[in-house]
Amino acid sequence: MTTEMQIDSYLTALRLHLGPLTIAEREEIVREIGAHIRDSVESGASVESVLARLGPAEELAAQYRDGVLIRQASRSFSPVKLLRAALRLATKSVFGIFVFTCGLFGYSFGAGLLFVALAKIFVPSHTGAWVQDGRLVAAGAFEYGYLPQAHEVLGLWIIPLALTLGSLLLLLTNYLIRKSLRLSQRWQSKL
Amino acid sequence: MAIQRAQPAEGEQPDRWEAQLRKGAVEMAALASLWQGRLYGLEIIRFLESHSQLALAEGTIYPILNRLKAEGLLTSEWVESEAGHPRKYYSLTDAGRQRLRLMAEAWTSFSGGLSRLLEPVLTKKEKHQ
Repeated sequence: MTTEMQIDSYLTALRLHLGPLTIAEREEIVREIGAHIRDSVESGASVESVLARLGPAEELAAQYRDGVLIRQASRSFSPVKLLRAALRLATKSVFGIFVFTCGLFGYSFGAGLLFVALAKIFVPSHTGAWVQDGRLVAAGAFEYGYLPQAHEVLGLWIIPLALTLGSLLLLLTNYLIRKSLRLSQRWQSKL
Repeated sequence: MAIQRAQPAEGEQPDRWEAQLRKGAVEMAALASLWQGRLYGLEIIRFLESHSQLALAEGTIYPILNRLKAEGLLTSEWVESEAGHPRKYYSLTDAGRQRLRLMAEAWTSFSGGLSRLLEPVLTKKEKHQ
């Protein structure tokens, strides 16, 4: 393989793995790395050693993608984007695993509460908070809602309560993931 | 600002902690290399090697430059060269200068304090040998 072919195949692989970025960003990166390789080769290094020092195209692209993914997500409100970035962070640090787990828990519990509010409208007798002997024995929406000894205490109040708590939990989870993503970026950029 | 890599003892894996430390320092070093004026990627790498023994995997520096630019600390421009292809030159923005100044102050006071703390550790090691 000639030098030019080796460079081209590296750049093609890089472009391929940079997929999720915008075309403009991608082409700029490919152009810059191309210039780096050509400059290094012209100053006497072998193309093999230059490519080896850059590392596999896939890994180089992953470093760019991580930066962009986490940066974009930390500015977004979409739970999907935030969770995906948190998952990416989780592959890199214990802190990331913690953030992802809390995020998953926060979103599912928040969504669950919203579901309970909805369920009260459609299946009121199966939804509520049941108390027996002064203790809470069940709360939520159940397929089999009949507990003979327990009585339901919230009534329709469960709707605003679950809506408020659920929304608050979703917002709090959003806020905490964004905050953590920003923090993780700053940790990388500062000592 | 020299960050020299101590030779690891035989059979010892280079520390993850040290890798983190170096990674954290790379951004400050990249910003510092641009203090005197614009440079392109390869020049930044060579500048860091010659001024700080901070030899890095070349693949690391470009994504970092990209991120610093996205954070508004750097700007870039393409400049035609005699080599036949344009090169992407980076320079510090005002925000970048400001940030670098803060980083340099924090680094100097932090490393000064730690050096004093570590002085006995290093002298004791010599006595043992």
